[in-house]
Amino acid sequence: MNSTNRAANRLLILLVGLLLLVVGAAAAAAVLIPVVRDGCKDATGQVTAQVSEWLQQTPLGDTGVSWILPALLVLAVLAVILLIVFIVRQGRGHTGIAVRESTSEHGATVVESAVAEQVLQDAIGGRPEFVASHVSTYRVKRTPVLKISVTCRRGVSPKDAAVIVEDAVRALDLLLGRQLPALVQISGGFRARITSTTRLQ
Amino acid sequence: MSTPGIYRRIARRETHSPRSLLAIVLAVLLIVVIAWLGTEIVIALLGAPALLVAPVDTFTSAVNLVQAPAGIVAAAGIVAAVIGLVLIIAAIAPGRRARHLLQSERTVVVVDNEVIASALARHSSVAGSVDPDNASVSVSHRHAAVHLTPTSGIPVDRDAVTGEVARQLESYRLTPPVRARVRISENGRIGA
Repeated sequence: MNSTNRAANRLLILLVGLLLLVVGAAAAAAVLIPVVRDGCKDATGQVTAQVSEWLQQTPLGDTGVSWILPALLVLAVLAVILLIVFIVRQGRGHTGIAVRESTSEHGATVVESAVAEQVLQDAIGGRPEFVASHVSTYRVKRTPVLKISVTCRRGVSPKDAAVIVEDAVRALDLLLGRQLPALVQISGGFRARITSTTRLQ
Repeated sequence: MSTPGIYRRIARRETHSPRSLLAIVLAVLLIVVIAWLGTEIVIALLGAPALLVAPVDTFTSAVNLVQAPAGIVAAAGIVAAVIGLVLIIAAIAPGRRARHLLQSERTVVVVDNEVIASALARHSSVAGSVDPDNASVSVSHRHAAVHLTPTSGIPVDRDAVTGEVARQLESYRLTPPVRARVRISENGRIGA
């Protein structure tokens, strides 16, 4: 429902997984397999010489240090900023506007999502079938979508719960004069388990 | 974007895990490691003593990994590789949530499996005339296992229970469909 970039989540997990797998397998192979082990020993001196040569060939002005390290530092700062943006982008996507329509050439009509949310909350909140209910609005593909989540009392049939919520949504359709896409989420959870069983049949 | 398209997208996203928690934990760990490396570089450039390990030492010990004790390196490498494999599987696996879609015309309805289970438990306990506490139901992706413990001396009508459970499941019109299996304990329970 929210605008979390799930492909990015999976990509990050995949990249970290591949990195760990490759580095871990390489380290294990380097000490366990004799051929690889000898190859590594031969390469050690060359790699060290090559890297120290690079560090000497890239002086930063006349300070005597290579600019490779400061460049790595800049990369590290960029990576940290990217990762923080990545974390902050999770779980966004709420919107405060349910309907926006240009009714005349002088202006537009805006219906805030609080209207729809409170109408639905009023209709559902008092029902004995539900322990708790919450209505929120998200933007999905640039369209406002209502999310109605209800926590059922023990033993309430999900069909009945869905019908109750859907009746409320249809009443809202009549009130607004248009249909807003809606998601109904019916959950149980801890509060449902400790409350008394429903007496409705 | 049309409503059916939006509904398809919502239905897909509500029944599968976003993998947010794992991704955020990994991102935080990466930030910590990168920030530490950056700090070490700054400290090395200033010529001050390192926090944990200086960048030069990190590099030389990584290059000379083969000379390190084989047991420790191999164990650490294998552990890292296994963690990497688990992460790769987590990234690729669908990550289904314990939820079903309930068919509906006006809205998208997602139901937690435990709500379905608790409704089935109530209906089967009424149909089998056992105490609701003696009916336990677990719902998985395609199966519902109903388990009733009868009250001693009062037999349970299995067909009635099976029929009632099937009728209920049919009325929910779940996606993917769920089939029920009813099991009735041979031993009853006294006073229930």
